[in-house]
Amino acid sequence: MLRRSGSAWKTSALKVNIHFLRGEQTLKKQLIIVLSLVMVLMLVAAGCGNSNSGNSGSNSKGKSSNTPDSSSQAKDEHALEPYKLTMVYPGSTPNDLKQVQEELNKYLTEKINATIELKPIDWGAWNDKTNLMFTSNEEFDIIFSANWVGYSDNVIKGQYVQLDELIETHGQGAKEVLGPDWLNGSKVNGHNYGLPTLKEFASTGGLLFRKDLLEKYKIDLNTINKVEDLEPVFQTIKDNELGVTPLLASNLQTLAGKLLNFHYDTLGSDSFGVLDPRSSELKVINMYETERYKEVITLMHRWYEMGFINKDAAGIKEDQMNNLMKAGKGFAYNAQLKPGKDAEMTTSLGVEVVQKEFVQPLTTTNEATGAMLSISRTSDNPERAMMFIDLLYTDQYLLNLLNYGIEGVHYVKQGDNVIDFAPGLTAQTSGYNIGAAWMFGNQMNTYLWTNEDPNKWDQFKAFNDSSIKSPALGFVFDPTNVKNEIAAVTNVKQQYDTALSIGQVDPEKYIPEYVEKLKAAGMDKIIAEKQKQLDAWAANK
Amino acid sequence: MNHRAAAKAALNNHAVTKRKRSVSQLLLHILFGLASILTILPIILVFSISISDETSIYTNGYSFIPSEFSMAAYSYLWQDGGAIIRSYSVTIMVTIIGSVAGLLMMTLFAYPISRRDFPYRNVFSFFVFFTMLFSGGLVPWYLVYSNVIDLKDSVWALVVPNLLMNGFNILIIRTFFQNSIPPSLIESATIDGAGELRIWWKIIMPLSMPVLATIGLFSTLAYWNDWFNSLIFISDARWYSLQYVMQKMLLDVLFLSQQSGNGNSALLLATMPSETVRMAMAIIGAGPIVLAYPFFQRYLVQGLTIGAVKG
Repeated sequence: MLRRSGSAWKTSALKVNIHFLRGEQTLKKQLIIVLSLVMVLMLVAAGCGNSNSGNSGSNSKGKSSNTPDSSSQAKDEHALEPYKLTMVYPGSTPNDLKQVQEELNKYLTEKINATIELKPIDWGAWNDKTNLMFTSNEEFDIIFSANWVGYSDNVIKGQYVQLDELIETHGQGAKEVLGPDWLNGSKVNGHNYGLPTLKEFASTGGLLFRKDLLEKYKIDLNTINKVEDLEPVFQTIKDNELGVTPLLASNLQTLAGKLLNFHYDTLGSDSFGVLDPRSSELKVINMYETERYKEVITLMHRWYEMGFINKDAAGIKEDQMNNLMKAGKGFAYNAQLKPGKDAEMTTSLGVEVVQKEFVQPLTTTNEATGAMLSISRTSDNPERAMMFIDLLYTDQYLLNLLNYGIEGVHYVKQGDNVIDFAPGLTAQTSGYNIGAAWMFGNQMNTYLWTNEDPNKWDQFKAFNDSSIKSPALGFVFDPTNVKNEIAAVTNVKQQYDTALSIGQVDPEKYIPEYVEKLKAAGMDKIIAEKQKQLDAWAANK
Repeated sequence: MNHRAAAKAALNNHAVTKRKRSVSQLLLHILFGLASILTILPIILVFSISISDETSIYTNGYSFIPSEFSMAAYSYLWQDGGAIIRSYSVTIMVTIIGSVAGLLMMTLFAYPISRRDFPYRNVFSFFVFFTMLFSGGLVPWYLVYSNVIDLKDSVWALVVPNLLMNGFNILIIRTFFQNSIPPSLIESATIDGAGELRIWWKIIMPLSMPVLATIGLFSTLAYWNDWFNSLIFISDARWYSLQYVMQKMLLDVLFLSQQSGNGNSALLLATMPSETVRMAMAIIGAGPIVLAYPFFQRYLVQGLTIGAVKG
């Protein structure tokens, strides 16, 4: 078989041999094909070269237009040179982005003689892409920043422009709108590197309940004051509603987590070494050794044993928990709450839900730095970027254009500040529904959807006022010195945390074991480091 | 008597070998049957989820036979067809341009270093070999393609980085050239008056169909399945490749579900496409590349056996 194919080859080779001697015509044809392919490739290369030179040309133009006396720009707004701003923020690209961008450009040219390019980056690619943009010195001006996407890391690396002076010169509007609490809370080492979105300034944890079941069993949430009161409610649901889990949890989102992480100031993104905001002294403690941790976990274990919590909680992901609610398989599930969260979730779940908080709202650095706009160090014109950010706090038209698109095309006004999708459009079919009002500027200036509480912003203000302000508000933990310990402790946490939080295992046995393992992994060292930095911060304040 | 016994013995013997063969045959059939079931079942499951009703999945879990049949996922994708069709055409275009250009460039590189009379063959082989083992790392790699040659947000960002030429493939082609094409053939062509380019195109290439098909399949698959270049280099949604459109969804869900510090992530998560839609996308994404296999397979088997015997 093999030999045969081998000889077949030889004969075919011979044929080829003869063939090329005879058939000059076909050879030419084939050579032409190859050459044309090569040509195509060369054109490609030329194309790349062209676009390259075009870009660098525009870049250098941008630079040269900005270098001459930037100080005079600041003085006289009418003499501003045209400038193209680039704004990078997470989210998917809506279909009508270009259309909205053009509308923004018209308005911005009039206001600050600038145009803007919106560059949304997909959530999943955000960390990779923005890091590469910084390392390759890509030019862009405004970037979304937040503690949960590496704000303090980037500040330490010097990726953001320090804003203190710019706020004074070009950001007076924003400064006035935000007030000192927000600005001080988002400072790192005494300087501002980002302007926080004016939104809820506190966070709290609690549950979202299905409204139809609450009404069916005549449950009044106002009579429930603490988590323990829910036990008879869950029992009713379990006894009467087949196939409905009273309390849903998922691998990372649990009620225990909500009751603990929003009770303490976690002093950073992990819960290793926390601060009790109700105590007057600045003492970093180990949350897993507190009485409260034991109480909460014991309650969860009790409920798990009683069959209130889904048995597969450790294995399901967060989006699957949402799906279970959508399918009517759950009665309540845990969530981070703010006023109007239930209306938001009702829209996106398609199931009517009502919220109930079980923790007093708490304001920590995490809230102050939860969503900000920073200016990249690669910006050619930070002044103009600041002017734009300032407008997002003071100019209602601009902000709503950015958030909701064009009036009459993407939304229609139903009242003064109330909007609905344009006729024939829904949240899914609208060409511009980015759902990102919490990322930009002054959220209290944005329109409300018809299904939202018209008093939402008043409620926000009341919510903000009712919160406890953590004594460590404004403190940012730098984990560099204890990186190894944090990695080791995180490993231990992954092993124990979910099982304990959903109540799967016996707290009497496992909490001491957990605490011991955490200590062996270096928990005490992290706490000591946090304490040291906190003391230094307090001394400088 | 003797004859009969001998005949019987022979018959028995024959039966035994036949039985032996049929037993081993059966075992082999079972083994490979199981192996193919293991690979086919997940695809069937994905398909049947994609044609199931959304809520029936949450209430009953996944099942091979949809408890409630629904084409909602496909009609959702059809409605939002613009993005899918666009990414489909991007992927098809990139796959075709990339594998044809890549194949030409790789053979053009492999051919000289396969010739023993080429003086610098070791130097050029070393380039290939070295880059196979060591790479500059992500950041320098990105810097070259974004700053030195500005490929970002263009279709070339999907064609050139990582995929166009592959050191390992070049070595396979070179080995094939060295072992399967007798140098005397080249010699005789030279005597007949053929130039180097003509020898390559008229003699070497037609004789190398098996390896070309093999490498062609490798690079077609690599292009079809690539999402990383889109993730790194493309921010303009017009140039997203098909696999990235799907990968993006999973990455988004993964990223958002880890953000316990952000109260808005739950809201964003709830607006992500449902599971049936994700499965429908996987089915659509597998699409035409499944058809590429039988086409290449003929050559692939040939290429592998020849390589094995002569290697």
